[in-house]
This record gives sequence, C-alpha cells and structure tokens, in this order.
Amino acid sequence: MVADFVKICKLFFYIQKSNVKTAFFNTGDAVVNILMMTINNLSFVFMWWVIFHNKGSINGWTFSEMALLFAVSNNAFATYALFARGIQNIPEYIANGSLDNYLVTPRSSLFMISVSESTFANWGDYLTGFIMFFLSGYVSWSCFFLMLFVSFMGFILLYALRLIVSCFAFFASDTQRLGDNMFMAFLTFGMQPASIFTGWYKILFLTIIPAGFLSLIPVRILTDFHLSDLGLMMGYCFLLLFIAIRFFYFGLKRYTSGNRFGVR
Amino acid sequence: MTDIIKVEQLCKKFKIKKDSSGLKSFFKPEYKTVNAVDKISFSIKKGERVAFIGPNGAGKSTTIKMLSSILYPTSGHAEVFGLIPWENRRTLSKHIGTVFGQRSQLWYNLPVQDSFNLLGKIYDLDEIKFKRRLSKLVKLFEIRDLLSHPTCSLSLGQRMRCEIVASLIHNPEILFLDEPTIGLDVTAKEIIRTLIKKQALEEETTLLLTSHDTDDMEKVCDRVIIINKGKLIFNDSIQALKDSYLSKKYIEVTTEDGEKIRQEINTHQIPIKKAIDDLVKRYHVSDITVENPPMEEIIKEIYKRD
Repeated sequence: MVADFVKICKLFFYIQKSNVKTAFFNTGDAVVNILMMTINNLSFVFMWWVIFHNKGSINGWTFSEMALLFAVSNNAFATYALFARGIQNIPEYIANGSLDNYLVTPRSSLFMISVSESTFANWGDYLTGFIMFFLSGYVSWSCFFLMLFVSFMGFILLYALRLIVSCFAFFASDTQRLGDNMFMAFLTFGMQPASIFTGWYKILFLTIIPAGFLSLIPVRILTDFHLSDLGLMMGYCFLLLFIAIRFFYFGLKRYTSGNRFGVR
Repeated sequence: MTDIIKVEQLCKKFKIKKDSSGLKSFFKPEYKTVNAVDKISFSIKKGERVAFIGPNGAGKSTTIKMLSSILYPTSGHAEVFGLIPWENRRTLSKHIGTVFGQRSQLWYNLPVQDSFNLLGKIYDLDEIKFKRRLSKLVKLFEIRDLLSHPTCSLSLGQRMRCEIVASLIHNPEILFLDEPTIGLDVTAKEIIRTLIKKQALEEETTLLLTSHDTDDMEKVCDRVIIINKGKLIFNDSIQALKDSYLSKKYIEVTTEDGEKIRQEINTHQIPIKKAIDDLVKRYHVSDITVENPPMEEIIKEIYKRD
C-alpha cells in the first residue's frame, strides 16, 4: 500500500515535470504568463479594495475577510488548474475517442485523465493567493497552515464539481460548453462576499450551488475557528468527491469511443 | 498451443438518436439500436498474426476496443490472457499493447524520448530493463534520429513507427493494431508492415490488426477474420480465403504487334488450360501472364455474397 502510494507520487511528479517542459515548449515565456495572471487577479482584487474602502463593510465583511476568500479560492483553483485540470477535457476526450489512451494503462484512468493537462500560468494564482493571505492581516503560522488545509479542501470541492459536470458528456453529446459555463457560474458565486447571501439564498449557497464551501465556511474557519465548521467542510467535500468518482465510473460504462482524428 | 484470446457470442449495441435537429427531438428524442457487433465467436492462439477485415462500420474497431478493455459489451463473453478485459482493465494493460492509427499516445509537444520515458514510468518498468528494451526497439524500428524530435514535428509515417515502439515498451504479449497504416503513403505503409511483422516474428507477439487495406492483411498476417454488419463471415487462413474465393483469373496476352489483350476467366466454367489454348489459337502471342484477382476484389466479392 505504502509502496504503491510512493510509486503514484513519483509518477505524479514525473508527469508534472513533463507538463512544465510542455509549457515552456508552448510559450517560451511561461514566467511572463505567471506574472500576467497575477496582475489580472490583483486588478480584480483592487476593484473590491475600492468598494470596501468606500463602503467600510458589507454585512460584517471587511476587506480582510475578502482577502482571505481570495487567498483560499486562488490557492484552491491553482491546485486544480495545475495538477488536475485534465478532467475538464473529458467531454472532448469522449467526443474524439482519445479517452481510449487513458483506459489502456495500468494506472487509474481517472488519475491519468486528471494529470493530462496543466496550465502553467496558474502558478500566478498561487502567487495571488499568498499575497492576499499576507494582506488579510490574519498572519500567523497556525492561520497559514489552516489556510493551506482549507484551500486543499476547496480544491477537492472544485475537482468534484468539475468532474460531475464533465461526466454529463457520457450521457449527452457536446456538453463541453455547458460544463464550462456551470463551472464558471460556480466560481463567480464563490468569489463574492459570502455575507450578501442570507436566508434561503444562504441555504442554496451551501447546498445546490455549494459556493459557500469555497467562501463562507473557509473564511469562518480562518477568522472564528470552530471544529464543527472544519468537520462540515471536510464531510461535504469528501462526500461530493465520492459521488463524483462513482459518477465517473458509472458513466464510463456508457462510453462508446469516437473516431475523430486527432492527437493527445 | 493455447488460446490467448477467446470470444464467445460477443455483442455490442449502440443507441443512436434518430434526428437531433428541431425542438421535437429535444423534448421527445427517438433512438434506434444499432448492432455494431452481433454474436461473434472466435479464438486466437499465442503467436498468431490475425487480420480483422471489414468495411466501414462493420464492427472491427468496436471488437478490438472490447478486447482491449476500452468498451463494455452488451452481452457475450471474452477472455484475453485468461482475463475478462472490461473487468480487469489495469491488470490486462500490462499484457497488451494498443496502437490506434487515428490518434496518438505520444505527448504532442514533448520529444519522443520523453514520451517513452513517461510511458516507462506509467508502466512502472525497471530502469535498466526499460533502457535495454527501448534500445532494442529503437534499433528495430530505426527511430534513433527521431528521439530528440517533438511528436508534433514528425511525419505521419515517422510518428506511426514511434507509436508502435510506444505500445511495445512494456513488452506486451498481444498487440492490438487499429488501422496502423491509415493515411500513410505507399512507401511508409510498406515500412510499417515489414517492421510490424519482423517484431512479431522475433518476439512471438500475438497480433490482431484491423485495416481497410487488404495488403496489410496479406503482408503481415497469416490468418484473416472478416466481419460485415457486425457478423463474422469468414475465419480461416489467408491461403484458405484465396482457395475458396478464387474462381476468377486474369489472362493478359501481348501479341507480336505489341497489342495487349486482357481477359477475365471464371475457372469454374472454363478450365484455365482451355482458355489459354483459345487465346493462343486466335492471336500471334509473344507473351502471356496469368494473374489472380487482387485481394481487394476477393474481399469485395465476399461482402457482396454476404
């Protein structure tokens, strides 16, 4: 078991090394892309800084809470985009039959699909995430490690949601755009100050569109720690991940393998 | 010799939407069921080189995909290396290699050598054994000069040689080749056929090859399975195929004036000797050749009869 885990970790790092090599082959200016991504993110943050500077707070949220939200969501998204983005290509892999390549290896097909794409520029999201953490004012080692942990939970949430929407492609044709739009809608909800959602909206925010697990709950864990919040977040994220994985393997039984010309 | 692949009554049905345009089909879609593979049974022994021939949509690729664990069947049974493919995907993948002519298993922007290294890690191969194996395959498929090139810069023929090496890196006992010569020019096709056969003979690899090109079958394989509309219609040696369906011969006569006359003879109606005698009597013959119809024509004849 431990030996298998070590092997899969080694393979993971080897694939990441290859992804970095591919990124540099594609652009040659990968570092510039990272910086541009960071600037792009920070310009969005600047807009919120102006709003909070003028308004003071929104339902109890100040710029500090907003900075923590950006820290968590950027780190979660960076982890997804750098290490598991391949799942968003599932509809395309299904349409052109290139899913075949991932089904005939001795490794888990889901693992192979997940690591099949990485966007190097998203290192800029990590950079933004860390900058925002330090700007939040909640700077301590314990808060830092807790932020890393809830960011990882956020990654699991993003991964599970994206996997579920990608797997619709096993049941209907051409769902790439639908999946992209649903995922973007979720991220948009997750990047708003959670305090604006109250009453029924809050329930919706923590159930059907679970963006609250990327904003409200992590920020609450970092500002006012309660073990129950951490347990709730972990429980929800792992439950969704379990459902997503089962859904993938259920859908795989319906895979028909296309024959469109193409390359990996 | 033991059977390495066993297929019994294997079926695969696809549900296809009838008309996907219009609002009606959105709210009330209608489907039709297509029998892509319809109760086929056959077996393949270790070391055999078998061609899987059929027209477009005959079910060749679907069968190969079920045997290589990619697709689940609708019904029936199959065993590859004693394993049910769709239930033992990961274990089976260590024993089989796959080449899909229409898509690549190499990383598009990486040098070929890096793709091979990555595959070595994916198959968890011992470093020394991997290097030895790769060196042997590189020599056999003559790709040493291509190793440092990214896949995207290779010609189709070069890429196909690298694809085959990639599928053989883990030393599989069975190699599934789905249209390995598709899109290649005549010279590249010839090179690929020679190399595939050479490797299979050297390492006793069992081959199952699908193709539209009957030359692939004649030049690489010793046995042929023909399917049409999902049903198996022929399963025997290539020689038996020729013997069963060769009722036609072509006689080409060159006269002393340099004129060429070509005649088609049905040997079931006129013995070949009589046909030649008639031609010799009628013309001043300077040269005469007797040819079998090309394999392409024999296959067409089988499809027509089916």
